[in-house]
Amino acid sequence: MALIEISNLTKIYNTTSVPVYAVQNVNFTIEKNEFTAIVGPSGSGKTTLLNMIGGLDDYTEGKIVVDGVDLSALKANQLVDFRLQKIGFVFQAYNLIPVFSAKENVEFIMLLQGVSKEEREGRAVKLLKQVGLEAKIDTRPSQLSGGEQQRVAVARALASKPSFVLADEPTANLDTASAESLLDLMEELNKKSGMTFIFSTHDPRVMKRARRIVTLVDGKIAKIEEAKA
Amino acid sequence: MLTALAWKNIWRNKKRSLIVIVALAFGLWGGLFSGAVMIGMGESMVNLAIERNLSHIQIHKPFYTRDRDIKAYIPDGLEIVGAIKKIKYVRNVSGRTLIEGMAASPASTYGVQIIGINPAEAKNTTSISKQLISGSYDELSKKNRIIIGQKLAKRLNLKIRSKIVLSFEGIHESIVYNSCRVAGIYKTESAQFDGMHVFINRNDLFRALESKPIIHEIAIRLDKEKNIPQVLRILKKQYPRLSVQSWEEIAPEIAFLSDSMENFTYLFVAIILFALVFGITNTMLMSIIDRIREFGVLIAVGMKRMKIFIMIILETVFLSVTGGLSGILIAAVTIDYWSKAGIDLSIISASLESFGVSAMLYPELPLSMYFVLSIMIILAANIAALYPAVKAIHIKPAQAIRTY
Repeated sequence: MALIEISNLTKIYNTTSVPVYAVQNVNFTIEKNEFTAIVGPSGSGKTTLLNMIGGLDDYTEGKIVVDGVDLSALKANQLVDFRLQKIGFVFQAYNLIPVFSAKENVEFIMLLQGVSKEEREGRAVKLLKQVGLEAKIDTRPSQLSGGEQQRVAVARALASKPSFVLADEPTANLDTASAESLLDLMEELNKKSGMTFIFSTHDPRVMKRARRIVTLVDGKIAKIEEAKA
Repeated sequence: MLTALAWKNIWRNKKRSLIVIVALAFGLWGGLFSGAVMIGMGESMVNLAIERNLSHIQIHKPFYTRDRDIKAYIPDGLEIVGAIKKIKYVRNVSGRTLIEGMAASPASTYGVQIIGINPAEAKNTTSISKQLISGSYDELSKKNRIIIGQKLAKRLNLKIRSKIVLSFEGIHESIVYNSCRVAGIYKTESAQFDGMHVFINRNDLFRALESKPIIHEIAIRLDKEKNIPQVLRILKKQYPRLSVQSWEEIAPEIAFLSDSMENFTYLFVAIILFALVFGITNTMLMSIIDRIREFGVLIAVGMKRMKIFIMIILETVFLSVTGGLSGILIAAVTIDYWSKAGIDLSIISASLESFGVSAMLYPELPLSMYFVLSIMIILAANIAALYPAVKAIHIKPAQAIRTY
């Protein structure tokens, strides 16, 4: 069974007058351990598609099944729980809690899951070490560089032991060196830990590393390419 | 951690939070201090009235206070005065002969209540002896001497040793005249009282009335006000045919005014809190608008909307309680200081005299009020938090994450 199955997915804004198709009749699957990029020009529907996969946005027609669960069957609170347990998020603007340290930001997800204090503190430190930030555990986001903040965001995304990580333009606000470093990290996590990453991106550096590229144009899948070995 | 997050969130915008905290602190301080002044005023009114002439308990013949009939005197009044002196908790007792009459001088005539007293006995049940501004209280032991209020003295254009003629209806229903010399002029906190009450040795009255000693009113001072109910019970049982009343029953308007001060304070503070609630709500709304994206992210990563709701309620409660408790603390310190030092309001003493209130005020606030006010602050905070919290939980995460 695929990790994510998307069938006939359509999202229409303004259904009563002139309909606007954000996403139209999208069909594809994502398997475990994939490193997939959803690409396309601005307004092609990449972020909307990513949001729908993450249960952050609803859809007009079709089906999304994640880890065997039909998202449309879940109520609002169930969807929140589902995201907490199954999905990690990395955002373009990092979106860390500014009043928490790096460690507290990572711990926060586990706190929501009800993990004990001892376990979540230990795991937070381990994850931050894994992303190369063991020296900045108690530093607040305002004192970290963009690249470092995004690494904390990756650690946070992994804290809940998700089935996959959705990354929406994670390198958009980073300089070249930081972006490369971040992508190295994500690729390493994908190869060594088997974590599935799904990106929404314009960044050719991401596309270069992706093993599958789904191209969207005007809300429709234009092509799906497997990366050359 | 949610509590820690809520507390830290308050201090993200220190200036904004401090403005709300300071506004709350000063608003509450103002309300509490004003309330303490009002309560102090009420207490002053009661204490002065008790000391002046009300005493803690009074005994009359039934319906005397309604009719004021000279013939409605207490049978065996003097003996009863003697017996009451022995009752536990009774500090002082005094028997008064009360007659409604006229006071005349060459300048004018005025209606007065003539209070016949035993000067030595009355010294401990009324404060008049300590409130003379001229003359001598001890002169009352001499024949046909009178002590009058300053207001009456001005009305009748009298001074020490001036002649004043009292006229009143006697026991035998004939008009009685009694000529006296002014031995002392007193001034109390109540100008109204000063204008209408004169004190004379009751033996002079008995002589003028050609009567045996008659007592219309027995005034009783206790060691502590809290013993009033117990002594009342004893006296009512001992003298079932007499009207035994506490000062609250005799002067319910004073009791009402005094009790109302506490309620006015609560109302005053409630109004201040009501106004401040809008300010707090506004501040919290601004704080939420600043953090729309963050809330979107929190919902996205798995924080339930109810937890966000609780977090905002906590933030508002922390903000309000910090300001509120600061205000209560400042109020407690300032009220405590001025309750000992007093506030000199002699600049408006004329207005205060019409209420029977001293120009030197000692604000006070019962301890229970601090507790009740803390609850009011927390309640107000919760009310203030509702709208912003509801607004926050209706955020659509997908849209919120995209805001800048």
